[in-house]
Amino acid sequence: MKAHLTRQTFIAGLALAGFSLAAAPALAQSAARIGAPAPAFEAVDADGKIRKLSEFAGKTVILEWTNHDCPYVRKHYNSATMQTLQKDMAREGIVWLSVISSPVGEQGHVDGAKANELTKSRNAAPAAILLDPNSKVARAYGATTTPHMYIIDGKGTLAYMGAIDDKPAASAASIEGAKSYVRQAVAELKAGKPVSEPSTKAYGCAVKYAPVS
Amino acid sequence: MAYPLTRQLWRQALLVLALLAPGLAQAAESAAVTSPRVTATLLSSRDAVAPGERFQVALVQKIAPGWHTYWANPGDSGEPTRIAWTLSQGATAGEIQWPAPKAIPVEPLVNFGFEGTVLLPVEIAVPPEAKIGERLTLQAAATWLVCEKICIPEEGTLTLDLPVAPAAIVAEAAQSRIEAARAALPAPAGFRGRLAAEGEALALTLPGLPAAATELRVFPLSDTLIDHAAAQEVRTSDGATVVRLARSSAFKIAGGEIAGVLTYREGGLSRALTFAADVEPALAGAASAPAAPPATVRIPLPAEGADLTLWAALLFAFAGGLILNLMPCVLPVLFIKALGFAQLAQASRAQVREQGLLFLAGVLVTFMALAAMVIALGALGTSVGWGFQLQSPPLVIALAVVMTLIGLNLLGAFEIGTSAAGVGHGLASRGGRLGAFMTGVLAVVVATPCTAPFMGAAIGYAVTQPPLLGLSVFLSLALGFALPVVALSFAPGLLRLLPKPGRWMLILKQAFAFPMFATAIWLIWVASVQAGPGGVLAALVAVLAAGFVVWLVGVTRGSGRGRLASSLVAVLVACGAGWFVVQSAVPEVAQARAGDTQAWSPERVVALQAEGRPVFVNFTAAWCITCLANERVALSRQEVKDAFAELKVVYLKADWTNRDSRIAFALAEQGRAGVPLYLFYPGGKGGQPEILPQLLTPDMVVSAARRAAGKEVRTAGR
Repeated sequence: MKAHLTRQTFIAGLALAGFSLAAAPALAQSAARIGAPAPAFEAVDADGKIRKLSEFAGKTVILEWTNHDCPYVRKHYNSATMQTLQKDMAREGIVWLSVISSPVGEQGHVDGAKANELTKSRNAAPAAILLDPNSKVARAYGATTTPHMYIIDGKGTLAYMGAIDDKPAASAASIEGAKSYVRQAVAELKAGKPVSEPSTKAYGCAVKYAPVS
Repeated sequence: MAYPLTRQLWRQALLVLALLAPGLAQAAESAAVTSPRVTATLLSSRDAVAPGERFQVALVQKIAPGWHTYWANPGDSGEPTRIAWTLSQGATAGEIQWPAPKAIPVEPLVNFGFEGTVLLPVEIAVPPEAKIGERLTLQAAATWLVCEKICIPEEGTLTLDLPVAPAAIVAEAAQSRIEAARAALPAPAGFRGRLAAEGEALALTLPGLPAAATELRVFPLSDTLIDHAAAQEVRTSDGATVVRLARSSAFKIAGGEIAGVLTYREGGLSRALTFAADVEPALAGAASAPAAPPATVRIPLPAEGADLTLWAALLFAFAGGLILNLMPCVLPVLFIKALGFAQLAQASRAQVREQGLLFLAGVLVTFMALAAMVIALGALGTSVGWGFQLQSPPLVIALAVVMTLIGLNLLGAFEIGTSAAGVGHGLASRGGRLGAFMTGVLAVVVATPCTAPFMGAAIGYAVTQPPLLGLSVFLSLALGFALPVVALSFAPGLLRLLPKPGRWMLILKQAFAFPMFATAIWLIWVASVQAGPGGVLAALVAVLAAGFVVWLVGVTRGSGRGRLASSLVAVLVACGAGWFVVQSAVPEVAQARAGDTQAWSPERVVALQAEGRPVFVNFTAAWCITCLANERVALSRQEVKDAFAELKVVYLKADWTNRDSRIAFALAEQGRAGVPLYLFYPGGKGGQPEILPQLLTPDMVVSAARRAAGKEVRTAGR
């Protein structure tokens, strides 16, 4: 019995090792884990400044993956729900970072000037827009869709990752009556409670990734 | 022979009519909704529909190269195609029957969807009340997301306008396109998988997958189960295929099972199966968040039980319980109860009520115990179904003995309880309290083989639900079952309708002995099927021993020392007989009986379908009265045999008299927990079976055979 168990463990170990090698890119992609320190990053913002996660220590940070041409993103901006959310969060003292990971030549790629123009024309209110054209930040967090939301609490721990709300559809009508996972998580964090739905399935367009260089 | 001829004439007349009447036979495909990426139409397998029929339509998406639309679970991003139906004439539409998806990499992500041209079939049910001469309008408001690297949400309303005629007119070209698409749909896997934790990952065990399968890929229906882009590592263990799957970052499991589609290649051919897998309880409990929202998409099962809501299941269960009272296995037991009431008609109302409530208690306790066992065994991964207790030959024999003893008692061969005073005094007074309770117990135990109509779906639902929901369905069943007796005991008016005790009662009581003996004979026959000649010998020895024991106890009653000795002998004889029964009543391996039927296996169905033969599968058991009745009144009739021969139907029998986990899986796949179940598979690879009702008529079987054989035209008002 014992020998049998040992052999099983050994085989399982081998399988695990083999799997880790085979799935290394996939694993690296989903390194962001609820309850673990949020992956550190460094990126240039729309104004050309280098921003790091560490500079926001002690504050709650929200990451929003975005692509202004994606129908799902447009749904949230055209209805002004995204801008309202950004302003409400700013009022709470929360840092909102919009992340654009589309590489040059792909839909959604913008330079700093265009990013700022979009913010102005849409009356959006992010604290900063991070430009991630080689998709490094996206890989670190395993972002799959636009929008894809992450909330990092004051201790630098990842508290929420997933969808913006519970209506995974592109139609404008789906906004009505949607439950905002982001608002829910922020309210629970503020009340000192654990986040009840810390991880949901994000929905939207695929994040346009740059090829691994 | 004259009858089919008139039918033929009718059909031809209709055809002529169809050609003459402008606009009657032109509507097999709707106008297209077109974008540079997708051309969508609605395709109908009918030029005209008949009232009461079910037929197939399909949403056709012709997708430009490089673009794709999405499956029920779109994978890492995207959105499945959805259809909102508006149908005239009270018609209803089923769910989309999803083809097997492709994994479409969008580095480093993976989507599940379709490229090229895809047909999404949907079944439309025309109600029998549909008005002939008017039109059936099908309006499909469809939305889909089409992506290359960028995504465009598209939508369109597709309309078909079909005449309602006395007989359906098949649109041959459209029909064959849709049937080809349906033949390529994932076929139900002949097995049930298991999903367990394996460290951080998941291990999906798939027993019964061919060893030669390569390029295996698992597509779960839930989008919160696996990391869609991660590699799926396949290994074999104990003859089963095990797939290691990385967990989704939003890992969540709703309920005790998961479902999805498997694709693989075997001998150069692509194959696809729908599968369900039981989730290891620890894993289901470990799902990250509480109160998962119910999955909005699932593979449409063509089963009665699959889409039941809780309320419908409760209602079906209640109705099923009521009807169960009329089944041949229960009737004798209810005779006894009715007899008891007849005798109690003179007694106080309170006493009668007490009797009714005790009967109710007996029924409830037994039902709950059996249900708890079924659910607990199910949770442990043992596949049992309703009526499983009758799969044990010693139990069947014990029941036969009980039936015989009740019969002997009714005939007055011996009395249970006190010194025999008045007629049936024992049953009514001292036997009273315990007797009433035990009658309830006995009624349930003998009732279980009769899975009455309505109950199949309800029980199928119950065993697939969380335990508490499952138990509540069984509770509803028990309440329905006990209702007539309880109502009788609570309604003095009803009781007064029963005639006064007298000599007639003695005669009636004796007459009731014979249904009991009949039941005993039937049970011994069941034992003979289960355990062969050894089973019959064991059963008869048990009956003999039981008779001897009650006689011995009766004779020596009242004499002090003799009584001790005789009790000792009685115990010895009973134990000896019991031992003999357990020893000799060993189940035999089930084998096909009757010359023109063959034994069922999922592989056999697939192979026969591939040969283009329609296949009829009869899931039955010797202890299932409904099954035997159907075989007698429908399946063994000459007209059915003729039709089967003419249409080259292969008749397969899945005999569940003894335990057989493959049959239990197959039943579960159709949302059932017990027999009977009748499936008619069309000829042609992968065709989905039609489920026939639980009570058959020869006509019903013949027309199902015609449908399965592709002889489509179905006359109305049959």
